[in-house]
Amino acid sequence: MAGSSKNEKLIGGILPESKAKDMLYKMVLTRTFEENAEEMYALGKVHGTMHLSIGQEAIAAGASPALKKSDYLLNTHRGHGHFLMWGGDLNRMMAEFMGKEAGYCRGRGGSMHIADVESNNLGAQGIVAGNLPISVGVGLSIRARKTDQVVLTLFGDGAANEGAFHESLNMAAIWSLPVIYLCENNQYAMSMAFEKAFRIEQVSERAAAYGMTGLTIDGNDVFAVYKAVMEAAERARKGSGPTLIEAITYRYRGHSKSDRQLYRTREEVKEWMEKDPILRFAKAIEVKDAELKEIQARAKEDIRKAVEFAENSPEPDVSTILEGIYA
Amino acid sequence: MREITYMEALREAMRQAMQKDERVFVIGEDIGVYGGAFGVTAGLIDEFGPQRIIDTPISEAGIAGACIGAAVTGMRPIGEIQFSDFVVISMEQLVMQGAKMRFMFGGKADVPFVMRLAGGSGTGAAAQHSESLENWFVHVPGLRVVMPATPYDAKGLLLAAIEDNNPIMFFEHKLLYKSKGPVPEEMYTIPLGQSHVVREGKDLTVVATSIMVSRAVQAAEQLAKEGIDLEIIDPRTLKPLDERPIVESVIKTGKALIVHEAVKTGGFGGELAAVIMESEAFAYLDAPVRRLAGLDMPIPYNRNLEYHAVPQVENIVEEARKMVKGQY
Amino acid sequence: MAKEIIMPKFGFTQEESEILEWLKQEGDSVEKGDPIAVVSTDKISMEVEAPENGILGGIRYKAGDVVPVTNIIAFVLQPGEQAPQAGAPPAAVKVAKVAEAEAPKAGKTVEQVEQAAGVSVSPVAQRLAADKQVDLNLVQGSGRDGQITRKDVEDYLAAQIAGGKLKATPAARRVAQEKQIDLRTLRGSGPGGRIQAADVAAARPAAQAGQATLSGLRILKEIPLIGMRRTIAQNMQRSMQEAPHMFLEVDVEMDAAEGLRRLANENKVAGTPKISVTAVIVKAVAQALKQNPIVNSQFSSEKLILYSDINVGVATALDNGLIVPVIHNADTKDLVQISREVNDLAQRARENKLQPDDLSNGTFTISNLGMFGIDRFTAIINPPQSAILAVGKMNRVFVPDEHDQPVLRNVIAFSLSADHRVMDGSQAAKFLTDLKNNLLNLGEIVK
Repeated sequence: MAGSSKNEKLIGGILPESKAKDMLYKMVLTRTFEENAEEMYALGKVHGTMHLSIGQEAIAAGASPALKKSDYLLNTHRGHGHFLMWGGDLNRMMAEFMGKEAGYCRGRGGSMHIADVESNNLGAQGIVAGNLPISVGVGLSIRARKTDQVVLTLFGDGAANEGAFHESLNMAAIWSLPVIYLCENNQYAMSMAFEKAFRIEQVSERAAAYGMTGLTIDGNDVFAVYKAVMEAAERARKGSGPTLIEAITYRYRGHSKSDRQLYRTREEVKEWMEKDPILRFAKAIEVKDAELKEIQARAKEDIRKAVEFAENSPEPDVSTILEGIYA
Repeated sequence: MREITYMEALREAMRQAMQKDERVFVIGEDIGVYGGAFGVTAGLIDEFGPQRIIDTPISEAGIAGACIGAAVTGMRPIGEIQFSDFVVISMEQLVMQGAKMRFMFGGKADVPFVMRLAGGSGTGAAAQHSESLENWFVHVPGLRVVMPATPYDAKGLLLAAIEDNNPIMFFEHKLLYKSKGPVPEEMYTIPLGQSHVVREGKDLTVVATSIMVSRAVQAAEQLAKEGIDLEIIDPRTLKPLDERPIVESVIKTGKALIVHEAVKTGGFGGELAAVIMESEAFAYLDAPVRRLAGLDMPIPYNRNLEYHAVPQVENIVEEARKMVKGQY
Repeated sequence: MAKEIIMPKFGFTQEESEILEWLKQEGDSVEKGDPIAVVSTDKISMEVEAPENGILGGIRYKAGDVVPVTNIIAFVLQPGEQAPQAGAPPAAVKVAKVAEAEAPKAGKTVEQVEQAAGVSVSPVAQRLAADKQVDLNLVQGSGRDGQITRKDVEDYLAAQIAGGKLKATPAARRVAQEKQIDLRTLRGSGPGGRIQAADVAAARPAAQAGQATLSGLRILKEIPLIGMRRTIAQNMQRSMQEAPHMFLEVDVEMDAAEGLRRLANENKVAGTPKISVTAVIVKAVAQALKQNPIVNSQFSSEKLILYSDINVGVATALDNGLIVPVIHNADTKDLVQISREVNDLAQRARENKLQPDDLSNGTFTISNLGMFGIDRFTAIINPPQSAILAVGKMNRVFVPDEHDQPVLRNVIAFSLSADHRVMDGSQAAKFLTDLKNNLLNLGEIVK
């Protein structure tokens, strides 16, 4: 499971060391990517908007490595980290954000719809909870084809209040579909604070409503995420049905670039930043400051190269404007 | 050739498709042992089992999402919306996800599913169970829209739709389920995007869809006795529309009457009238293009009112006669 | 300063002129008084002169264009000057507004239409407007005092077509274009008078202007319908369409009159012109008109106008057409004077030197084809007159004398075409018989 050599040291009892370094790097890469994206946006290089996951990197870091390459991903709008974790190529990602032909979606999707169906990455999502009914279909497809695939389905606390959430989880439960419902509860749905949108204390309580396994974990603890996802995947693969995992985290930046964040205090944000997940993970896997800095420098350089690649990449030809609508 | 009902033709199409291709399955409400609200899927669960004839809870968004998710991961699902009116609950999935996925992903995904819907009025089912909403989907790029009028069309078009790699909205009419007609036993397809000249004539081009096709044919038989000769064309696929036969017909007759059950305002007739006007046929129009369509109202419960809310044979006769006699 | 060159008004009632030819081109140098263009009105041609020295520029019309008088047709520019842009369309439409009340609907009676409009409308224009369902409030009048003329209504109709407002289906328009049929001339059978394809298909191209040519024939020559030819065509068509012609004939022995004429010529004063047969006929006609005022008249929709001035026109053939110079007040002039005038007019006509006043205000016309060997013929009334006299050649004819014995006499056949709206057969007959008597007893009417 989880592709490690038999005698490798398992950090925290579960995480192979070789993987851990890579995960840290990707967390830093994600952070650097997001910060750079912020900068590019401010410089007007990115059209439209972006949804940054700065502060939530631990969930992305813990989730994908717990799964197989053959598994499916249904991402959210705040999914740059997950995309990278899933093996996304930095250059092509950057090209897509800049709307270039060489981007994953030929510049037609942008940040909100970026996908790589070839690697079973079924795309980011522009409609909150829009990917939930789709997870049912993917689950049915896996069942029909009798494979041991699972579908990691990401969404936020806000999606848990959409009608589609109810329909989808219910259907996944009644048919025991191999879905991992991973809720990234960053405690705000845009400006709506969790305690104002829910009468219950935890989203995972709703699992019981559908008769599926549910649990709440510390989303900023990479190990916790890794363990929970791995267990959910096992459960799914042996036919025991879906799991609802609620990972508690915090979003440093606003919902999107146009968010003025009037709904929370600076103090609150600062408090969470002191519990930064990257620093926490680096410490847990015994990576020193110097090494961390070197990782950060490497990440920065990789980002710089990606930006250069994307900027030099050609725009889509207007004559191809109608391509890709129909098969 | 043997004659079977429209409903049996649809069932046969699904059966033959599922026998041929393991990837095809059907999902919807009450389609298993119940056989579907109108009986279309009766017996299929016995042959294919509950894993391929999947009963769902009342969750139209879920049904649509199931079709989309399965389609994008290699399956070829057929969804059933019990009454086409309920499609409104799955609009987000159909319009935002199913229709657009391929395009948003740069053309790198296929989403091959067929969503069958039972629409139309005339059964006293009233305002929320009698809709004709096909034009909503004509307006969504990425979707194809098909409306079979006869049992022969139903089987051929459904088989073609199942083979097609696009998401397809397949609008059946409740009152047609029991209509009978000749249907070949073997598998065959009618190409999507191909209009059908149902009847040739020289005085007036009548473009009709779904149940209006047979009503137009009846009207034509009546008018033939008065020496009025109608040409009737059924587009069969609303999108992509095969306009060529329609344009050529209007060039021949100089007059066009569009008949559909859906409400006139914002209906497909307006789209078609504009297509005719923008085509070569314009220079040959000898009268304004006219539409005979549902009244701009929800379908009423009262039987007689329900009858008068949509075009009937006598309405087609009267309108066609007036057009041929130059009253417009 | 750019100096405007306007289309001059040569005659009192002139509405417009046709440009026959530009003598100078855009950019040519001109001196004050230089003729720069030849224009025609009705049937005579006039020259337009440069009003000052300079360069001809800003030419706004081409040969063949018919231009309302006082419109700017070109400019005399100084070196380096640009011609001013064409401003607002000539004479903004200003049909007197119906005083707030409803605009007259097409289909009202002609009288109501005229009253409502507040401007006068020529009878022909009224009929055309009623026919074509034209709201006269929308028509710009270019006639005297803003009168709406037939041409104004025609222009309006043409503008409507250009604006695509003529009611015709696309199919009708297509067929009309293919068959070269003028939609204006058709009656529509569709709703609201809309022209349908069937209406166009049924129209006989032969009746339309600008019809398709017969195919397969070799063309000898094509003569453009401009200038005098066009005017004659329009006038004669109008005359036949509007005036119900009746034709009366009388043969007159001219021996007595001829005898008097020869005698007078033998004894004439030196330097005075010989008396011509034409002069004799003019005088006899003038007298007959005096005796029968109903023939010296004009028809209008609500009244017949009988004139006391007796102005007899004598139709004169030219190389390229026909012209009718007028002997004004012929009843007051003697034979010598009439002869003089007839000769002078004929000569000036041949030399193209007639003035508009020579042609104006005729109340009756005499047309003589005797010199072309014609024994008798009927002529078409010259609008707006009420009658025309066609004169044949003098023939030596055997007639019975008082003893029923054949004797040779000089006889001319006279044929009167009369407008039956104005007069009846008996009135026309009296005129002719009075004319005959005047000729038989010439000595009594000339002293």
